[in-house]
Amino acid sequence: MLEIKNLHVKLEDEDKAILKGLTLTVPKGEVHAIMGPNGSGKSTLAYVLAGREGYEITDGDILWNGESIIEMEPDERAAKGVFLAFQYPMEIPGVAGLTFLRTAANAVRKRRDMAELSTPEFLKVVKEKAAKLNIDFEMLKRPVNVGFSGGEKKRSEILQMAMLEPSLCVLDETDSGLDIDALKVVSDGVNALRSPDRAMLVITHYQRLLNHIVPDKVHVLAHGRIQRTGGKELALELETSGYADYTGKAA
Amino acid sequence: MDGTLPGTDGTRRDMTVQMLTTKAEQAILKTFEDNAARLPGGKSVAELRRAAIGAFASRGLPSRRVEEFKYTDLKANLREAFPLVTGGAADADTTHGALGSHFGPEFAANAVSVVDGRGTSSGGHTFLADSKAVSMDWVQAALADESLAASADLLLNTALFTDGAVIDVPAGADVADPVVIVASARDNGLAVLRHIIRVGKGAKVTLVEVERAPIAAGLRQSSAVTQISIADGAEVVHIKVVEAHKGSTHLGHWQVRLGANVSYKPFQLTLGEGLVRNGLNVDFTGQHSTLDFGGASVVHGSGHADSTLVVDHKVPHCTSRELYKTVLDGQARAVFQGKVIVQPGAQKTDGKQMAQALMLSPDAEFDSKPELEIYADDVICGHGSTAAEIDPDLVFYCTSRGIPTAIARGMLIESFIAEAIEKVEHDGLRDALIGIARDSLAA
Repeated sequence: MLEIKNLHVKLEDEDKAILKGLTLTVPKGEVHAIMGPNGSGKSTLAYVLAGREGYEITDGDILWNGESIIEMEPDERAAKGVFLAFQYPMEIPGVAGLTFLRTAANAVRKRRDMAELSTPEFLKVVKEKAAKLNIDFEMLKRPVNVGFSGGEKKRSEILQMAMLEPSLCVLDETDSGLDIDALKVVSDGVNALRSPDRAMLVITHYQRLLNHIVPDKVHVLAHGRIQRTGGKELALELETSGYADYTGKAA
Repeated sequence: MDGTLPGTDGTRRDMTVQMLTTKAEQAILKTFEDNAARLPGGKSVAELRRAAIGAFASRGLPSRRVEEFKYTDLKANLREAFPLVTGGAADADTTHGALGSHFGPEFAANAVSVVDGRGTSSGGHTFLADSKAVSMDWVQAALADESLAASADLLLNTALFTDGAVIDVPAGADVADPVVIVASARDNGLAVLRHIIRVGKGAKVTLVEVERAPIAAGLRQSSAVTQISIADGAEVVHIKVVEAHKGSTHLGHWQVRLGANVSYKPFQLTLGEGLVRNGLNVDFTGQHSTLDFGGASVVHGSGHADSTLVVDHKVPHCTSRELYKTVLDGQARAVFQGKVIVQPGAQKTDGKQMAQALMLSPDAEFDSKPELEIYADDVICGHGSTAAEIDPDLVFYCTSRGIPTAIARGMLIESFIAEAIEKVEHDGLRDALIGIARDSLAA
């Protein structure tokens, strides 16, 4: 279970607070969506969960399965099952996709006390998972994300997610830059990972992703706090009314 | 000594005052006198040597006032010069030992081996110290090349070379296995080699020069000049690996002449904490030829690696590419000077250059100096240069996938340098170079 308690976050080199007392709980087996206007702190929440440098937690805590993760390095969190699918996946020139996947998969397996995958085992698993995501295996021999289209990058993120078998999936604006076909492939990939052992937090500005990845709960984030929580119908309501009700409201 | 003295009226006036020779220059002049009578070559070579040492004596080692040595001041940095090495006992294991473990035994099998400045195993080629080889017309012509009088480091080589490989690749030959020249020498000695290579029309060959001091080696100094003349339609891959440790110096230079329709792909890998200069002059003398240069260096601590290129497009329709990458830690310094000259009439020249440094320390320094001298109006020429730290966003991306920070950084550093090494198409060579670079990065 993910428990975010009264989380206050600011940028390290600026005084302005971004998250101001965010509280949220996502039980295992559930998919929660976070929706909110631009600048509400959605991406900050995603980065803080994954442990990116440059943010300072001034108050509150993040617990994953009862354990505080805020002092952990990103790789330690990944080993504990935290995975962030980036809004803008990075390009890594000179590192082949397969090398990257194998290094990452075996690094987390090692720390989870699982046997590392041998080359044939690894290739078999990658081929299988890549095929499901319509990813051309040849593409994985190329450097990570270099020269990939927006849709290819997002599929590559979901492949990484599938390979690392996380227990907490955070998807940051996974729908941005996707056409309707790619959106379907990516959503199918995410839905395939839904399981009673896994919690998911889907961060999005638009409702359309939630037609494909249907959430158990929807939270509205504005001014650094959760302003409202509801069922999947809340997303549809926001689609018609917009965020005007929230952007004007003082925190 | 200062070149000017104050006048009686308080102003300064120029006076011609002979610069004091440094301790290293004196040692070089002395080692020449000690060895001149025993150096190989006939009368004409002896005359070349005399002329070269004379010019060297009047110029001295290049200081930073010499533009080509602006960032590599040999006068200041070469504190002493060791006595010339003129041969020693060849250890049975020397060739393979000097190549290191990343080159498979197939590279050692037919290697041209030079130990302590003398050829020990010719791999079916000849040595310059062989009186027959040195008296051949084409070898004589190469030795007399006036462009080698251009700077003092080359003059030093002409005056003192004790031996080197003479490789003659006949027209049409397709040499399957790389021709490996491996040099090693004892500590506290100055090894000076000259390699002379001719590649005939339409021939294909891969040349590899290796000079690596083992980790435990003491101080070494060496100079190696390679002259290559490549005839029309030939394809040549030319690789060099230099590893020099703290306090050691290597001065290398390649003088290359390309005919028409030639493909020339040089690659130079420099490692360690020594002072290394790699000069490369390429003259395009026939149309539709291509130069595709790759350079990579991993420089540690107080090391200094200089790659200085002069690419002279004398004729139209030629293409030149240069990619140089360096990884610097501590107070290491890398220099990349890339001069591309497009002579009047050399239309349709296509030249591109990129030099990139990865700075692992705030005290590292990268001096990058592109120089384009273009005298023709229908050409495409471009250059770029970057110096940056490891991108923290990339490190985060990797660590968020569970890869520990140290491994992520190592992977990113290796990928940076590998991008240049990937230019080497020969699988075995590329793997060896990546392995050597990886070892150096981990050191």
